[in-house]
Amino acid sequence: MRQLWIILRKELLDAFRDRRMVVVAFLILPLAVPLILAGTATLSARKQSQQLEQTLELPVIGAERAPNFVTWLESNNVRVVAGPQDPDGEVRAQHRDVILRIDAKFAEDWRAGEPARIEIIFDSSRAVASGTTVARVRGLLDGYAGTVGTLRLIARGVHPSVAQPLQVGIRDVATPESRFDLSQQLLPYLLLLLAFIGGMQLAVDATAGERERQSLEPLLATPVSREVIISAKILATAAFTLLSLIATLTAYRIAFELMPAGDFETSFAVGPGGLAQLFLVIVPIVLLGATVLTALAAFARSYREAQSYLPLLMFLPMIPTIVLMVAPVKTQAWMLAVPFLSQNQLILRVLRSEQITPLEWVISFGSAMLLVAIVWIVAARLYHREQLATSV
Amino acid sequence: MIRVEGLRKSFRTRTGVVQAVDDVSFEAADGQITGLLGPNGAGKTTTLRMLYTLMTPEAGRVLVDGIDPAIEPARVRTRLGVLPDARGIYKRLSARENIEYFGALQGLDAALIAERTQRLVAALDMHEFIDRRTEGFSQGQRTKTAIARALVHDPRNVVLDEPTNGLDVMTTRSLRNFLLDLRAEGRCVLFSSHIMQEVARLCDRIVVIAHGRVVADGTSDDLRAATGCANLEDAFVKVIGSEEGLFE
Repeated sequence: MRQLWIILRKELLDAFRDRRMVVVAFLILPLAVPLILAGTATLSARKQSQQLEQTLELPVIGAERAPNFVTWLESNNVRVVAGPQDPDGEVRAQHRDVILRIDAKFAEDWRAGEPARIEIIFDSSRAVASGTTVARVRGLLDGYAGTVGTLRLIARGVHPSVAQPLQVGIRDVATPESRFDLSQQLLPYLLLLLAFIGGMQLAVDATAGERERQSLEPLLATPVSREVIISAKILATAAFTLLSLIATLTAYRIAFELMPAGDFETSFAVGPGGLAQLFLVIVPIVLLGATVLTALAAFARSYREAQSYLPLLMFLPMIPTIVLMVAPVKTQAWMLAVPFLSQNQLILRVLRSEQITPLEWVISFGSAMLLVAIVWIVAARLYHREQLATSV
Repeated sequence: MIRVEGLRKSFRTRTGVVQAVDDVSFEAADGQITGLLGPNGAGKTTTLRMLYTLMTPEAGRVLVDGIDPAIEPARVRTRLGVLPDARGIYKRLSARENIEYFGALQGLDAALIAERTQRLVAALDMHEFIDRRTEGFSQGQRTKTAIARALVHDPRNVVLDEPTNGLDVMTTRSLRNFLLDLRAEGRCVLFSSHIMQEVARLCDRIVVIAHGRVVADGTSDDLRAATGCANLEDAFVKVIGSEEGLFE
């Protein structure tokens, strides 16, 4: 135990004297993460409100064929402009989100009481950028069609409810915390990623770096067992990562306090209790990351080789997030036994202020720690290889 | 006291199996300096690595003060002070912190470490740089730090792999005197070198290794008598079989 503490303390001292490592962990990350998250949140909120409330400039081809419709549009916060020659091209080139074309026979059909054609020209592959505007235009068309339809029914002496067999009411049960925005989808991934590979620099430095600088051989010649050495290095990596995460989360929390409240429906609503829970969720991933990185550093023949595995590791915590985005599913017990997937779910639930039962904690924590133990054994075996210290 | 009996070690390389150490036996007594002399690639470093438990021998055994490192590696390591071939020190720690770290790992308390450090600083003349961070140290300063770190637990047996490698004349001289002091204190000193003059000047007993085997073992007089050469240099060349790798 004493030896473990001595090595742990030395590794941390060494790390905190490495200015580059400290700047990244305690300055760049705490600044970058809130910026990324708050930035995307503000942007998406602002964009949505702009697309919904601002006067919409809408190119209409053949506006002269439907003067009443155009007047109605203009009374609904739309400024109608002349349509371009090549509407498809304009939309494809992203100069316009949406263009309306009024059919040449519009007036004729209208007078005859036949359905008159209006085309909405838009690009469905740009749903994120133009989806809100397209929906707004559709809503306007539906509104106009509904109004005129109702008037026609009344003119023929039919009660409008005849044409309305259903009355659909909408009640959204989402709480403010459970309503999603992009920043909340990013948060679990960013947290897991930082927890998992935040200790990269230290872990690689403490094993591959130690070997490259030729100080591993003298260390192995001391009475300390190799199991104690790797455990200490893993714990040092985990401790450093946790400290960096605390700094990052604190900065994130402060950033949200400072933001103008009106921009967000949702916010980082977790209090101190929630923060503690987030922490508990992440600790096994921090340990897992530290152990995997240490094993990798012992496996790799050089510092550079160890660093070349980084992109692979970045992908691991991404997998559950991708799975959940593609196929959003209800949390099931087995998912809590899958590391990363489990933590991802739990983070979301903490953010939504949902209860997590003790059993769920045990499953999530236990399965991740089991994996830590397995990787630890691998790391210890790698540390026992003769090539570890002798081939540089 | 260090005893080595019938050590063997081979390495698999791309071109085949290399027998790096082939049945090496010798003894290094307390109160003596024993030199392991041989050309580069003769198997000196591999022999020493098996001795300080970094490698496991394929055959044979090692006894350090009668303890077998294959059975009790940790006990052997407390009785050994090792300056390995790789002697990197932590560049973000001061020389003193480097020494303290190893003292703590050897299980010494802070007061004892401080006292031993003070003695080693005096013996190795390290006053000037002891509290500086080791980044940018000269080769001599690094080697001195590494030696002090290896000896902070006051081991009875001292093993040094090519200790004078890369050192200037002044540092080499002071290191030689330091080894003589260690002998005077009754320790068992074992060091390897490929420089004949150095071994001839310092050692009470010389073990000559070539191609993984012990080709001669005795005092310099023994060597001269056995080979019939009046000149020690000629004697070495004769037992090794070639001059290859023997001179700087």
